[in-house]
Amino acid sequence: MSDEVIRSAESFGVALEMKSVSKQFVGTLAVDNVDFNVKAGEVHALIGENGAGKSTLMKMIAGSFDDYSGDIYINKKKIDLHTPAHAKKNGIEMIYQELSLAMPLSIAENVLIGRLPKKGLFLDREQIVNETKRCLEMVGLDHLDPMLQIEEISQHEGQLVEIAKALGNNPHILVMDEPTSALSREEVERLFSIIHNLKKSGLAIVYISHHLPEIFEVADRVTVLRDGKKIGTKGINEVTSGELVQMMVGKSVTEFYSHTSHTKKNKRLGVEELSRYGFFHNVSFSAYEGEILGICGLSGAGRSELARVLVGLDEKDSGKVFLDNKEIILKNMGQAVANGIIYLTENRNIEGLALRLDVKENILAGLIPELIKKGIYQEGEGIDKVNELIEELSIYPPDPSRIVGNLSGGNQQKVLLAKWMACEPRVMILDEPTRGVDIGAKMTIHQSIERLSGEGNTVILISSDLPELVSLSSRVLIMRKGKIIKEMAKEECTEESVLLAANGEGL
Amino acid sequence: MENTKLGETTQEIKQIDTRATSVNIIGKVIHYAGIYAVALLFLLAGIILQSFGIINNFLTTQNMMNILDAVSMLGIVAVGMAFVTYSGHFADLSVPTTMALTGIIAVHMLQYGFLPAIIAAVMAGLLIGLINAVAVGKYKANPIIWTLAVNYVTLGVIRLVWVNKQIYPDMIAKTQRASDLFDSIYRLRFFNKIALPLVILIVLTFVLNFVMKRTKFGMQLKMTGSAQKAARFSGINTERIIGMAFIICALTATLAGLTITSLSRVGAWYNGTGYDFKAVTSIVIGGMTLAGGRGTIIGVLGGVLIIGLMNNIMTLLGVGTFSQDMIRGLIFILVVGINAKSLRSMGRDDA
Ligand SMILES: Nc1ncnc2c1ncn2[C@@H]1O[C@H](COP(=O)(O)OP(=O)(O)OP(=O)(O)O)[C@@H](O)[C@H]1O
Ligand SMILES: [Mg+2]
Repeated sequence: MSDEVIRSAESFGVALEMKSVSKQFVGTLAVDNVDFNVKAGEVHALIGENGAGKSTLMKMIAGSFDDYSGDIYINKKKIDLHTPAHAKKNGIEMIYQELSLAMPLSIAENVLIGRLPKKGLFLDREQIVNETKRCLEMVGLDHLDPMLQIEEISQHEGQLVEIAKALGNNPHILVMDEPTSALSREEVERLFSIIHNLKKSGLAIVYISHHLPEIFEVADRVTVLRDGKKIGTKGINEVTSGELVQMMVGKSVTEFYSHTSHTKKNKRLGVEELSRYGFFHNVSFSAYEGEILGICGLSGAGRSELARVLVGLDEKDSGKVFLDNKEIILKNMGQAVANGIIYLTENRNIEGLALRLDVKENILAGLIPELIKKGIYQEGEGIDKVNELIEELSIYPPDPSRIVGNLSGGNQQKVLLAKWMACEPRVMILDEPTRGVDIGAKMTIHQSIERLSGEGNTVILISSDLPELVSLSSRVLIMRKGKIIKEMAKEECTEESVLLAANGEGL
Repeated sequence: MENTKLGETTQEIKQIDTRATSVNIIGKVIHYAGIYAVALLFLLAGIILQSFGIINNFLTTQNMMNILDAVSMLGIVAVGMAFVTYSGHFADLSVPTTMALTGIIAVHMLQYGFLPAIIAAVMAGLLIGLINAVAVGKYKANPIIWTLAVNYVTLGVIRLVWVNKQIYPDMIAKTQRASDLFDSIYRLRFFNKIALPLVILIVLTFVLNFVMKRTKFGMQLKMTGSAQKAARFSGINTERIIGMAFIICALTATLAGLTITSLSRVGAWYNGTGYDFKAVTSIVIGGMTLAGGRGTIIGVLGGVLIIGLMNNIMTLLGVGTFSQDMIRGLIFILVVGINAKSLRSMGRDDA
């Protein structure tokens, strides 16, 4: 099949060509003898399961490794890409899977880092603001003040700022590693129109994603990796999504969607008139034993902020929270965990995981108080649990002593979920629990969520993934601008109705 | 390129870890046992120098005891300060004047007896520890700047209260017995050989190693040191954990302060000078990285031994104190560099 594609690519001007490249880490052969190319003016999608080697392959062209093997050609010229600076000089920009913005700096400083305009000896502030505005405009963020600090903007805005930063350097090859995993549907639409324009201007784009519908929407060709090896490259019109899945996992998979109906039993969590000024106001709802309560809203609707107050990470300004009909006042997350309430953060790198510690240590982090027997920490007692969770969530590689920072993004997400499942909580607030995980793993996670609620636990599910939200939830609360504006029963929920409601329409 | 037909590969691949390659075991061993291997190398170097007649009296029981005596105070400071480093807060630079202050207070209080003197010293150390704990743990002060400032404030307090006077235990003590007891903190020897400070160091090492590796506090400290925010989001009270690290450090500095004052038989502002940097150096040489969450107390003890051997050999060689300081500084820089590099090659980099 692909020989033809390759030949036609050659005539089109291949922007980037990789020939039998490999990359070995201590303990893993992450990329195994892969050929890959991108043409100018095309979007080439790169897909595969978690840990397949997608990010590693792309980091190679971004100059992250000085010890890869194989040849890389840019515009037909053989080039050694051994440092990120080198890659940038050759017109390659990468938007990393994990946010890489410097938190304490302003948007402008982040965007223009390395090329801050000067007037004589001093920085040219006016120019800085204007240039940043120009970059932000390309991603539709012109309403943001370039002097805001990264900490002050939301995660999805951060994602777009990162894209703006890359575009500001006028690259001719742009790599996007799961750019949509933190974006809501509208933002994804906006990103796609940006990509479309970039493509027209002749940019070569590599696009990594786990959402197959997205691939069919933006990509021209698609390459599948599995276990570090290339399985094949296809024109987007030559394949169906079923075939792609089969290529990725080596077997056919049907998406798992539950149809378990939940009956309201005892009230587990009661929230009355809860407010945190500036974020959400007078929020009231109840969550029952054994139910999965979905919360839907556009980004900025106050969903995560609500969750953070519920577990005591932030302070409330007014209102009450009841657990099993008893009022609880939580001052920090430790008290929440002690009460069996947990929060899986949407920001796994900074707030979720200790990237420098290993899988076992991360999974047991919330359990430390329970693993103390007679004052002594008994790690051995936790290891069975760790192994069970590694198996249930099929964390790869299945080795409790791997450093979490060295796992692939999707596997890090599984470790984060495992950490909270290990605590056996009674109320789980899950904020984007399947961010960045592959189709198979998503099914596994959904099954685990189902199992947990089936055992009588309460799950509050915050997700921008509408199919996930609609199929798992027994009820969906719609949040908009800090208020709960609607409650929808399972029967009323479809992807469309929920999205309309979140936009404040169809009420 | 590879052409796999669809449907051909229906086997489940995940069962076996197809991509696993072997991990370099030797590298791991060197990484963990390396500190003591280096200490042995220094010992060997001394022996060789002696056999060529370049230095004398290196390998004698007396000299070995001297080395241990010399490092025991440094060791006591280092194993405590290691908790601050492990928590991801680099170092406690208020240690020198904590040592001086607790020593001087003890001497001052000897007029009421030995026990009151010790209690007062411990209270003073605890107070400094608490101040650091609250400022850095709760109010997130920069640990280096803050403890540096506390160091100078304490110095000011000492000079103000004792107006540059040095005070001598034997002149102040209520009874001869109190004075003798204070004297014996440094001089008491078990079996005529093993000095009390050495015993204190060994006991501290084992207790603190246990605390760091096997207790709830230790595990939460590790998590905090490795990723403070993630630790807080895991339900760990990071403010308290960080604070505890500073309190432990201040308490061991107090022990060292009492010891050094007993040794010099004078309470004076300069008693702990230099212990801050020497302690950080041995901590880092001992394999505890400045980034936090990594290393062991046993390793730090190894670092202390290396420093002790090195000082001893340099002194026997006739290297001056200034040159010794400079050499220690260079080694510190070298070790921090090597550490960063070797961690990266082991795939344990944070970046
Ligand atoms: N620094 C590293 N050290 C050791 N192993 C690593 C390192 N980085 C990645 N790996 C391993 O290499 C393999 C490929 O990882 P990679 O991040 O490329 O996967 P991916 O396809 O991007 O997955 P995901 O969809 O989850 O992001 C994984 O098995 C991972 O554990
Ligand atoms: Mg990846």
